[in-house]
Amino acid sequence: MHATKNRQLPLAIATSIALALASANAFAQSNETQLLNRLEQLAGELEKVKAELKQMKQKQDATPVLIAQAAAPVSASSRLGEGTQLTAYGEINYSRPRRDSSATQADVARFVTGFQHSFNEKTKVVAELEVEHAVKSSSDNGEVAVEQVFVEHRFNDSFGARAGLFLIPLGLINQNHEPHTFYSVNRPTVETAIIPSTLREAGVQLFGEQDNGISWSTGITTGFDLSKWDPLKVEGVESPLRTLHQEGQLARSKDLSFFGALDWRGIPGLRVGAGFTTGKAGHGTKGFLAPNARTTLADVHVQWTPGAWDFAAVYARGTISGAGALNASFSGAPYLVPKSFDGYYAQAAYKIPLSGDYRLSPFTRIERINTGRSFDGVVAGQNVTAYDTETIWTTGVSFNIAPTVVLKADYQKYKIVKDSDRINLGLGFSF
Amino acid sequence: MKSALTWLPTAAIVIVSPVYAGQYATVDEAAKRAFPDATEFKESVFQLSADEVRNVATVTGLPAKPVLWRSLLAMNGDKPLGVVVLDSVIGKFELIDYAVGIAYDGKIRNVEILAYRESHGYEVRLPAWRKQFFGKDKSSRLRVSEDIASISGATMSATHITDGVRRIVAVVDQMKAAGKF
Repeated sequence: MHATKNRQLPLAIATSIALALASANAFAQSNETQLLNRLEQLAGELEKVKAELKQMKQKQDATPVLIAQAAAPVSASSRLGEGTQLTAYGEINYSRPRRDSSATQADVARFVTGFQHSFNEKTKVVAELEVEHAVKSSSDNGEVAVEQVFVEHRFNDSFGARAGLFLIPLGLINQNHEPHTFYSVNRPTVETAIIPSTLREAGVQLFGEQDNGISWSTGITTGFDLSKWDPLKVEGVESPLRTLHQEGQLARSKDLSFFGALDWRGIPGLRVGAGFTTGKAGHGTKGFLAPNARTTLADVHVQWTPGAWDFAAVYARGTISGAGALNASFSGAPYLVPKSFDGYYAQAAYKIPLSGDYRLSPFTRIERINTGRSFDGVVAGQNVTAYDTETIWTTGVSFNIAPTVVLKADYQKYKIVKDSDRINLGLGFSF
Repeated sequence: MKSALTWLPTAAIVIVSPVYAGQYATVDEAAKRAFPDATEFKESVFQLSADEVRNVATVTGLPAKPVLWRSLLAMNGDKPLGVVVLDSVIGKFELIDYAVGIAYDGKIRNVEILAYRESHGYEVRLPAWRKQFFGKDKSSRLRVSEDIASISGATMSATHITDGVRRIVAVVDQMKAAGKF
């Protein structure tokens, strides 16, 4: 039965094929034009499906590229991983005094590297480690320092807190001091001699920002230590507070300082602000002759950038009160603690865009500065009077070869200490 | 299938966006501020061809960026009012998420900061600074220290957002020329 069925199958298939062919042939003969149209339609639909498949593949291929680029847009910093960025800046300078070429020197003025890491959407740590003058050893003049290390926590969009070692918000340079943020090879003298940038102390602060353009910060930090004053060292004349700040180095903390700062940027291109820090500086030192001495540093600043112009001005004033008895004890020593010291500068720059990222910025700046405007406790025989006010003109150009890479050249002219007249060249970068 | 193709890259963009941020305006808020008359916002992804990417780079003087741009098409019934394009740029150290609303005539309707992560330089959020962009179009310079004022203490953030806006204006112009918008 099974064999019979098998023998009949080829015959059935052949019969079916023959019938089908005959049927198809008859159909084709009667509907040939319609069939061709249908085939062309199917071929068109097939091409469409193939195109869609190709498009899908292209999009899938493009997506990883997009992800990579979205995760790393044109970057000012180097991203180490989710939430972590490497940061750095450096300044390499050359200085040639006009009247004493033997004092010409080149210096890796500072190299700073650090990182920022976000722990979550509200909390981050910011840290910077600085090396000044290239080498620090027992026989070199360099310095290694933690420039900043603080934790920041935001309570909401416009209010937060920081704790750790942070920059005190004074002037225009102290918080924004990377080399591309100022035009001259060296930072303005007012913001190094009166405001000893980068001035940082350890403490806690609250800060806020409002939509009306007001930003503010206030906090408590370690302060200055007047017991560090050395009446035999000229550093106190160059910058009275630079020898007294503590910078988180085993900082004496019996007396703390209080600071506040306010800025307004309600009009595009305009910034007006002021800041201060004040605190006692005796720290209960046994036998110290200025136990109630108070150190105060304050500033007002304005920056206006209409179009390609950049105008800036800063006035800073410091006082050290209660140091009269201490000064009186420095018999025969040349450098007393000033009761007041101050300085201002006014600066104009014009940014000329060239091709690509190239930009040339000629600038000029006048500074008037006095690091010893008055003294308390001067006794007969000390022969210390108020210092003369120095006037410094700085004129030059800043040439950006990238937004944050800059070549600088300027000439500084001093009205009183003419031996300080000099040509400066500099290279700076930051990311 | 077409729907899936549209949403795949959109989802990818959302997924890769870092979350460390204060949220200053939502995407919906940014879109409604740009086009208060819109009755509907359609999510879309602009896809640039290689030639269009090159055109954008040439016109803006900026490096080429992604070929895909997440956007919302603002509609009033069947009438297109404009588009809101979403993007991120680096400020000084961190990513800034922002949205740019551009009307059908090519003029900027608004620039909204969606998320800002820097410790300083929040001033790019200020309404007064962002208003400088309003009404500008592809014929504008859209460059810091030219027709857009810089921000003291936030130069990098201001520059990078301004560059980003200039790029988006060029992208939308390319899309419009290609009839994709």
